[in-house]
Amino acid sequence: MLARVAANFYWMGRYLERTKQTIRLVRYPLDRIVDRTGSEIAIAWEVVHRTLGQALPEAPGSVDEAEAFLLTDAYTLAGSLIEEASNPGSILSCWSTARENGRQVRSHLPLAVWTCLNQGYLWMRDSDLPTAWASGPAALVSEASDRLRHLSGVMDALMYRDDGWRFLCLGRFVERVQHQAAFLGAWVELGRRAHATAALPWADLLRICGAYEVYSRRYSMEVRQEQVLVFLVQDPDLPRSLRFSVHFIEEMLAGIDPAGARYPLAPPHRMALRIAAALEVESLDRTRGGDPVRFFHLVGNECRKLHDLTMSAYLDHTRYEGTEA
Amino acid sequence: MPTRSESPRGAAASFPGYEIDPRFFDEMFEADGNPRAACRQMTESLAGLAPEDLAKLQDSVYRRFLHEGITFTVLGGEDVTERIIPLDFVPRLMAGAEWDRIERGLKQRLAAINLFLRDIYHEGRSLRDGVVPLDLVFGCPKYRIEMRGIDVPHDVYVAVCGTDLVRTRNGFAVLEDNLQVPSGVSYMLGCRDAVKGAFPDLYRAHRVREVSDYSKRLYAILASLAPSTRTPRVAILTPGLYNSAFYEHALLAGEMGVDLVEGQDLVMRDAVLYARTTKGLERIDVLYRRLDDDFLDPVAFRPESVLGAAGLFHAYRAGSFVLANAPGTGVADDKAVYAYLPRIIRYFLDEEPILDNVETHLCREPEGLAHTLEHLEDLVVKEVGGSGGYGMLIGPHASSAERAEYADRIRANPSNFIAQPTLDLSRAPCYVEGRIEPRHVDLRPFVLQGRDGLDVVPGGLCRVALPRGSLVVNSSQGGGCKDLWVFDG
Repeated sequence: MLARVAANFYWMGRYLERTKQTIRLVRYPLDRIVDRTGSEIAIAWEVVHRTLGQALPEAPGSVDEAEAFLLTDAYTLAGSLIEEASNPGSILSCWSTARENGRQVRSHLPLAVWTCLNQGYLWMRDSDLPTAWASGPAALVSEASDRLRHLSGVMDALMYRDDGWRFLCLGRFVERVQHQAAFLGAWVELGRRAHATAALPWADLLRICGAYEVYSRRYSMEVRQEQVLVFLVQDPDLPRSLRFSVHFIEEMLAGIDPAGARYPLAPPHRMALRIAAALEVESLDRTRGGDPVRFFHLVGNECRKLHDLTMSAYLDHTRYEGTEA
Repeated sequence: MPTRSESPRGAAASFPGYEIDPRFFDEMFEADGNPRAACRQMTESLAGLAPEDLAKLQDSVYRRFLHEGITFTVLGGEDVTERIIPLDFVPRLMAGAEWDRIERGLKQRLAAINLFLRDIYHEGRSLRDGVVPLDLVFGCPKYRIEMRGIDVPHDVYVAVCGTDLVRTRNGFAVLEDNLQVPSGVSYMLGCRDAVKGAFPDLYRAHRVREVSDYSKRLYAILASLAPSTRTPRVAILTPGLYNSAFYEHALLAGEMGVDLVEGQDLVMRDAVLYARTTKGLERIDVLYRRLDDDFLDPVAFRPESVLGAAGLFHAYRAGSFVLANAPGTGVADDKAVYAYLPRIIRYFLDEEPILDNVETHLCREPEGLAHTLEHLEDLVVKEVGGSGGYGMLIGPHASSAERAEYADRIRANPSNFIAQPTLDLSRAPCYVEGRIEPRHVDLRPFVLQGRDGLDVVPGGLCRVALPRGSLVVNSSQGGGCKDLWVFDG
């Protein structure tokens, strides 16, 4: 596969995943906790912004300020993250970029996949936030989420499992690990604030990760912080656990690696194995007794290195000077 | 000469606002308003549709183009706009017998063009014999001296040709040949898919000749030109996402199952062309290029080009891969050389041309210049190297000031211009503003030539000038497209 084409698959996967994760996060303050106090909702917005690496404008300092802040600025906050074209992290921008990547590789995509991607973009581009806001902003985000799920389903059902698929999945899961590490880190760190304990309940963390029901079955209905973190980091069968995602990355890289599982492994493949080992073994102490925030920061950094190694090994076609295959 | 439109009679009266103008050949109706024999079923079907049904049909084909992203890109300053090409759901109809004559004419023309190109890049017999003025060919900017003496595989310089045909009251004539990177075939395929879905019963009843195997035919032609006997690796070279025809490049690559490469994907090693892949360098045997000569190779041609690949032409000269179409083919679609095509056909094939040229006055010749300047208000004047409807003067629609300014440009460089009479392009029924009205159309069929001969797909890009009275069919100038049904039923 052309290196440039593989790069477009990879970035398409990353941007689609970023869209999905942003939708998931934005739904929390907009949809799930509407019955909470203004200050609690404000903290939720802070988690969202910190996870996405975006500055929260004029964060409120007190409960009263928070109420006023939400009344006046919730629309702006949501708008900025949903459909602000000048914000490269907005849902519209991410979807638009994924579509541009998709356009570059549309000759490799089943028509139904391309059409679904294109229709979703056109709907998002033409949606009218002021009108949607008037009838409930959650509906807009919910529709975006449905369209993305539909696209994921069509891709799963129709895409040929070749290197294009592997790079797409690689991008998705690299993005997921980085995002999830940032999200867990932000949740734990902001939850340490005295007035934030009630604002960021651990059950909500599980719900955002789509893991509450499974947790209840696996552990108990009594949600405990240590168990939640272990579950979200180390469970091998939970699709949003870090361990599950890194194993998936390793599997994709094993398929992409020209040497397969033979040695020496390609640098990104080795890096993925190293992160997987850290998540299985090293993480337990740090998440339980050590400093989970630091741990999540380290995982994020390792994953960035994995991204860089992937780029230089396979995707950076302008620098790539290979030999005849 | 009658100039007024006539009130519709016959079946045409079923379409309010449909005016039959005796100045133009109507593709659907006879002069008395009755449908042509080939169009009776379609006319009856359309006449039986209520306005809301017509609107639904148009909406369904438009939505198909929108959702599938069948677009072209328009560059305006720093803005890049992706547009849906306007598609009209009413197909243009043509009887098989009429098409067969066109097909013979197109094959004859491309066969002569390839012989002419081989000649001017080798012995130059036709130039010595005065068939085409030597200075016209050697002075043409699209003549590539770098191609002189290169043996092109199977002497196929032009593997893919898009020839623009117009129909006037005197029959079909060739307006121009597109020999470098002819585009528009994707709209032919897209129109067919969308329109046959709109009229499934009529489509079946007409037994319309298929165009859907175009990509298969194209691949066969390209593969037949490969220099080696192993299964060739074919790729399409695109200028990239922002090229107006990117959709088409992606569609063809997808349908043929070949790589869609950009210049940055290519690298030369020991005069061999390779693509950069995730598993190393992989050799390419046939490159169907969709960018002009100038941009192919910054070493051989335009140095500032970043669209091609350095060393590409060197590898091509070494014969390690095939370029389709070959560099330097543009000389034969120069608008001045075009005027000599009938002579070229007679000289190389010893046959009379089956398809006529449009009457053309060469401003490089004193009598042609005098005629042009004298009749500027009646003529369409074009730059010999122009395309896309840019840079031309439509005399009857221009103001006297515009004509005077254009006349100065012609006098300053007469060799750069040709003039043709304003053509009475035929009209076909189109859905415009809620009803069926006639609009001017042309036709671009696609002709292929490979190792084993010539091939024409029975259809083409039928372009429509959508604004009332307009004769400009180019998509970049507001034109649209419609499907062409060639049928035997």
